[in-house]
Amino acid sequence: MLVRPGEKVKIKVKVNGIWYEREVEPRKLLVHFLRDDLGLTGTKIGCDTSTCGACTVLMNGKSVKSCTLLAVQADGAEITTIEGGDGKLHAIQEAFKDNFALQCGYCTPGMIMQSYYLLSENPSPSEEEIREGLHGNICRCTGYQNIVKAVQDASRKLRA
Amino acid sequence: MYPPEFGYYKPESLADALDFLKGGNVKPLAGGQSLIPMLKFRILQPKFILDLNPLKELSYIKPEENTVKIGALTRYSEMVKSGIVRRDLPLLHEASGKVGDMQVRNMGTIGGSLSNADPSADLPAVALAYDAKIKLISTQGERVVEARDFFKGPFTTELREDEILSEVELPILKGYNHKYAKIVRRAGDFALVGMAVLAKVGETIEDIRIAYTGVSDKAYRPYELEKTLLNSKPTEDLLRKFSEEVTKEVNPPSDSRGSSDYKKKIMKNLTFNVLKEVILRAS
Repeated sequence: MLVRPGEKVKIKVKVNGIWYEREVEPRKLLVHFLRDDLGLTGTKIGCDTSTCGACTVLMNGKSVKSCTLLAVQADGAEITTIEGGDGKLHAIQEAFKDNFALQCGYCTPGMIMQSYYLLSENPSPSEEEIREGLHGNICRCTGYQNIVKAVQDASRKLRA
Repeated sequence: MYPPEFGYYKPESLADALDFLKGGNVKPLAGGQSLIPMLKFRILQPKFILDLNPLKELSYIKPEENTVKIGALTRYSEMVKSGIVRRDLPLLHEASGKVGDMQVRNMGTIGGSLSNADPSADLPAVALAYDAKIKLISTQGERVVEARDFFKGPFTTELREDEILSEVELPILKGYNHKYAKIVRRAGDFALVGMAVLAKVGETIEDIRIAYTGVSDKAYRPYELEKTLLNSKPTEDLLRKFSEEVTKEVNPPSDSRGSSDYKKKIMKNLTFNVLKEVILRAS
């Protein structure tokens, strides 16, 4: 499939269980597609250079940084964002709330999506594994202690 | 931050992709973890992006009798999870788990890292240590290049504009100790200095391969100096002398991560500590 410079291309992406069809420029990043085209502003742009992890979403079940992925690469894929819950808070969100794992909250959507991925890969991670699993997500407020506690708490509750 | 305007090609097959690549001014996209930031910063402004991700035939880990063949589109996370890589290529396994962060490892690929040839990246040093064979393919056929001939300079390789890297072949080295270690300024950053070691040690050092990243304009292996360790009884003195000598062979570029001098000091200490662990622990 050829898209010439300046042309748009139709993509179909399943986001949080709903299929969306939109025309995008090939240079559009997945994070802009989610925020600007679909209005799903829960996913944040922080550093915009794939360092901070604020834009973390799941693509086909794996965590990725949506500022470092083209929207066209998500054509046909399933994306899950922080808005992907069923209306109630997820156990990880509850655990972040209960453990004061956020202050300003800007990194929280990315932090929660990455925690979700980490726990799906490793349901009972050690403290070291949590820190290793989350090191692509930067938080400038908490000092990480309570984030680690929240992930441990969520891990316990999800296994119970 | 938007990348510059470009066209996009999604190929039906590898043959189709290679045909499109022939047109010129095309940049192949694998995991995109270096390419997309480079586009955003306008370091690269190709007319077309050729998306390799639909080419599932480039993603595999195939054990052979004495080697393992890895398809270029195999992602770091797949190498970390692979039992074959863990068992037969433990150095690659360790290094793959230390690249970037988990999200980056879910996208980044072995072929992308080698073709990008960032002088501070992890996998070029690993490929050099293994004496990997790198397969390049174009409409004119394929050719295999030794890792030591593949890297030419910063972000520069043996790849022609109409070729893509399709496969990496690594030998299964039995009875070797290994270590991939790097010093970073902060978690997830590129290496200030990184080091890949494979060593076969009995009474003496029977074989040793040492490759560095971050200390030169490309991955660096001190082929001649390595030989001074061969057939020697491993002692702390021998390793200390080697760590001092090896830093005299390089002139690391000063950059935002550190000055040339600082990198040389790190290189010396890292070399001594890693060799002590890999070689003295073994003997």
